[in-house]
Amino acid sequence: MARGQSALRGKYAIVGVGETDYSRNSGRTTRAMAAEAINNALDDSGIDIANTSFGITSYSGNDATGSAAVMSDLGIRLDYEVDTMGGGSSTETLIGLSMGVIEAGLCDAMVIHRTMNGYTGRRIGGTPIGASGPPPFATNHGDHNLHSGIYGVGSALQSFSLAFVRHMYEFGTTPEQLAHVKMVHSKHASNNPKAYYKERVTVEDVLNSRYVVEPFHLLDCCVETDNATAIIVTSIERARDLRQPVTAILGTGGRAHKAAVDYAWGHAPITHQGGIHTRDIVFSNAGVGHEDIDVTGAYDAFTFTTLMQLEAYGFCEIGEGGDYVSSGAIELGGRRPNNTSGGHLCEAYTHGMNMVIENVRQLRGTVDDYCSDWKAGVHIYDYSERRCRQVRDAQVTMNLGWAQPATSSALIMTNQL
Amino acid sequence: MAEYLGAQVIVPPNDPAHREYLEEAAHGRLSVQRCGNCRHLRYPVRTACPECRSFEYEWQPLTGKGTVYSYYVVPHPINPAFREVVPYVVALIELDEARDTPQPGRALRVVANIVREDGQSENADRVAIGQRVDVTFVHLGDGWALPQFRLSDESPEHETWQIPTRGPAPA
Ligand SMILES: [Zn+2]
Repeated sequence: MARGQSALRGKYAIVGVGETDYSRNSGRTTRAMAAEAINNALDDSGIDIANTSFGITSYSGNDATGSAAVMSDLGIRLDYEVDTMGGGSSTETLIGLSMGVIEAGLCDAMVIHRTMNGYTGRRIGGTPIGASGPPPFATNHGDHNLHSGIYGVGSALQSFSLAFVRHMYEFGTTPEQLAHVKMVHSKHASNNPKAYYKERVTVEDVLNSRYVVEPFHLLDCCVETDNATAIIVTSIERARDLRQPVTAILGTGGRAHKAAVDYAWGHAPITHQGGIHTRDIVFSNAGVGHEDIDVTGAYDAFTFTTLMQLEAYGFCEIGEGGDYVSSGAIELGGRRPNNTSGGHLCEAYTHGMNMVIENVRQLRGTVDDYCSDWKAGVHIYDYSERRCRQVRDAQVTMNLGWAQPATSSALIMTNQL
Repeated sequence: MAEYLGAQVIVPPNDPAHREYLEEAAHGRLSVQRCGNCRHLRYPVRTACPECRSFEYEWQPLTGKGTVYSYYVVPHPINPAFREVVPYVVALIELDEARDTPQPGRALRVVANIVREDGQSENADRVAIGQRVDVTFVHLGDGWALPQFRLSDESPEHETWQIPTRGPAPA
């Protein structure tokens, strides 16, 4: 598909980011957490709330509060509001949507947020707390439960594993190579005070953890946590007057799909992730190429999702992801570090938000590591445990948002405009 | 009432295609929708033909023979209904009829469990990519059945491949 550079390239910026703590015992409603995260993002931006026209958007799987109520709690009147269904890949998608909303003159600034009691509420990887007895096998709205759920395909890992295993078969990808993703992200998390799992793990630790779905181990899977996260988007002109260094949005791609999305296994090749389509959209919109990307945030719901996305977006050839993720390239100090906060595998599960927040902080030069003066952007660039995780001179970052093997979104940002 | 593994099977009356699919199975037929216009075979049940957008279809019985394209093993149940059948194999089976149609690699692939002749879960150590399989049916009651697959006596058509494991799976 031939595309030109987007007319909105560099015209919008992320000016505020915020989150609650990452825990497994929030003891709070999703509404209370959302209010805190949004308030933190507003404070982070320094935006003049009284003189800004706000819009808001969020995503959920019917497991979270509506946006309008949260803004009412904060006393902020809305000129635009839309809540969407969705999980992973929504962050980048809604950032792109927000640019369009502001461009259309509907408001001055957009808040994007996700709030979820992902551990104490509805767990994505397991039985809901309080559930008793087997639920019926039922089709709803003509869905494909009779072709999946009734065969015991009951979690994200299970539904993705057919693609992951076929990848192993076709390309010789090994469990050891996958374990490198967790090992690397745990190193990153060890330099992140807010990460839920801060302990470093080895490849052997991953391989020795129990199987969740054979051949995938517990430590191939992300953490489940309670948290809310928020991001504020406004025009580049407004951004220049605000508190933080400017983080400009070069381009986005939103939830592009392969030909069949709801039964992706039925269509070949199942070893290719949906990013094979998003790639062309986001790179041409942004007017940059792979060689320009300093840091990636490739969604790591599982070790395999990072690998398949790095392949799909062309950071390595399809089939060579195993070598790539175990080469040192994705590690702090390597060619192109991935998920420097520890990502979903170690920091927290936020459906993609924390990976964008991390890249904003990387571009500002103010990641919250163990360097004593990180708030002033002073870092020691020593990536050993309980030290630094700031990438030196990071100029362009890219987020790769995974919803499932057939669906992908993306975001490219820079501090150079 | 239709039941599977102790749980109710519900397909609302406003979803006739899914009901017909289960009825076909109860007659011992693994049937998929064949487009009434371009004759494209499709699985799973879809409201229209993804090749030509026709809404007309008939049920096309297949031989029920196929090859394991991918699979994994579930050692722990998430849905309590599967407590008695773990560890079980979830397999993606490429059916013979639509191999390489309508274009290479875009085959008809169905998800099912690999079960033994007595209906219990097949030993995962016997399953591999490349294994030939045959359809079998589990009756659910109410004139419905669920297609499942058994390992076939046919020899594999290419070298088989098993998922890497480290020692015995935990109980
Ligand atoms: Zn047709």
